[in-house]
Amino acid sequence: MPEYSDMEMIAYTGSRILEDEKIVFVGTGLPILAAMHAQLTHAPNLFMIYEAGSLAPLLDMGMPLSVGDTRAARKALFLKGLCAAFEMTQRGYSDYAFIGGAQIDMHGNICSTMEGPDYNKPSIRFPGSGGAGAMAANCERTIAIMALEKRRFVNQVDFLTSIGYGDGSPDYREKAGVMGSGPYRVITNQALFGFDEKTRRMMLLEVKPGLTAKDIQDKVSFELIIPPVLKEMAEPTEEDLRLLRDVIDKDGYFLKKKVQK
Amino acid sequence: MLNTVSSKIKEVSKLKYKEKPFEYWGPTPDESRKIVVNKSHGLRDKRTTLKEAVAKYVKNGMNLGIGGFVNTRVPVAAVHEIIRKGVTDLTISMQSNSICTELLAGAMIVDPDRVSIKRVEMAWWGYEIIGIAPLFRYLTTNGIIEVDDYTNYGMSVRFKAAAMGIPFIPIRDHGGSDMELVNRGKMIECPFTKKNIYVVPACHPDLGIVNATASDMYGNARLFGALCTCPEIAMASNHTLLTTEQIIPTDSIRKYPNLTEIPYPAVDAVVEQPFASYPGACYGHYWFDMEHIKYFRSLGDEFRKTGNKEPLEKYYQEYVFGCETFDDYLDKIGYKTLKHLRKMDEGQPIII
Repeated sequence: MPEYSDMEMIAYTGSRILEDEKIVFVGTGLPILAAMHAQLTHAPNLFMIYEAGSLAPLLDMGMPLSVGDTRAARKALFLKGLCAAFEMTQRGYSDYAFIGGAQIDMHGNICSTMEGPDYNKPSIRFPGSGGAGAMAANCERTIAIMALEKRRFVNQVDFLTSIGYGDGSPDYREKAGVMGSGPYRVITNQALFGFDEKTRRMMLLEVKPGLTAKDIQDKVSFELIIPPVLKEMAEPTEEDLRLLRDVIDKDGYFLKKKVQK
Repeated sequence: MLNTVSSKIKEVSKLKYKEKPFEYWGPTPDESRKIVVNKSHGLRDKRTTLKEAVAKYVKNGMNLGIGGFVNTRVPVAAVHEIIRKGVTDLTISMQSNSICTELLAGAMIVDPDRVSIKRVEMAWWGYEIIGIAPLFRYLTTNGIIEVDDYTNYGMSVRFKAAAMGIPFIPIRDHGGSDMELVNRGKMIECPFTKKNIYVVPACHPDLGIVNATASDMYGNARLFGALCTCPEIAMASNHTLLTTEQIIPTDSIRKYPNLTEIPYPAVDAVVEQPFASYPGACYGHYWFDMEHIKYFRSLGDEFRKTGNKEPLEKYYQEYVFGCETFDDYLDKIGYKTLKHLRKMDEGQPIII
């Protein structure tokens, strides 16, 4: 197999998960790369929606550097504003939320607002929900990208920004008044996670070739559900890497970033 | 009668917060309606300068609604003039911003007697690919400003509710997240379905600042590229200060009235200002200047990390206080840079 970086593995795995004939609501960075890769390979009829207001753009000026980048509006089929993008989502037209965060718990609740105990004086303040909270609430399924580290896979998030399955009770999302069915996949550079239908707890699905379930459990604060048979994560081929490096992120804006320690 | 209910979210995270009684952070719906009713609704030539418009509409303690989205079609020229004039006890309302809010925050650090932010109702404050917003982090982690957190849709729809003339709007997010606990929305039981539904209050800024792609002299404005939440902010605000990349004839507006995204009654001042979003982008005109944004961000980051505010002070002396107008600032940026950014836009199609 060819050599690949963590970021390339995450983008490739994200692409693999996205099905054709769906709409993916993308956040900045790796979600855009993953969706572009999917469009160029197995999902030519997959489209992106961007929260600033564009649906199904043709990104022929290159990859947008942010979801508000004017390039994300290029040759769109529908171009309005934030209300329109999120209302299509509330209505049920956005199949996937593709988001990141600073912390995630076993029920797929994500923090991207702050760290520390006190809302009024956080020890670290992040930019905030942005679109993520609304995407996790109302896209049909949520895909999260996280770095696999104990301090990020936590027992309890400091601030619940993007709703997952809450406390895990079966009616949590319904009581919250949200529409989407909730967390679907969590992508890291070393493992792919899903959620157990009965307990709504995070479940290990695939590991990077060479790693064991224990390797992954050691990097997670809560207890993972580990199925008897564990699949290996598929690795990107030469062609996948060529698309990612030479076509999608030519200037290496996202692929050359390191997974932050 | 609407029943306030709970989605019982309190045990999920570690969050500690103080419950606060609801209060408006700007004009109430009734106050805002009264101001709008009492304006002239005729066609008036509203062209003016930023200096005059800012002197007239910017008041201490006001709620300032900021248009655009992150670095797209952001009203930077208006922000520069607001800093030059000075404003204290500001409440900022917006969905997502980078350079506009960091410029205001930097001005506060440089001279809190001239500019001060009291609180911000928002969804997101950062620089995306370039990094976190250092001055936002400084102000929040030191407890200097109060934040009211919503999602991007939450803030957008709060402006939309205000634009619709209704006091609140039901929305399918925030529920079950900690935003339900800390922000000023409420979970209620839907009077029809009897299920839980979150409602957020309308947001009426005292002044909305928006940069348009094109407008006539009356304020009929066209927006190309993403609309962001600009039409809603203009309609929601008591007053709207519109900068426009260019003034176009009303004949053209009348020829394609469907393209008018902001109607003239919602605009109080029209200022023709090319590159008004620089160093942000304006679809059809110019791309964003990553180098300049990185440079300004680095000064804020240095202050956050070392406490040294001298480089920030120098920036404001050079680019804000050392300039009489935004054109003077653009002169300092230079023709070659602006020409390059125009080229980077690749002539995205607009109808003028």
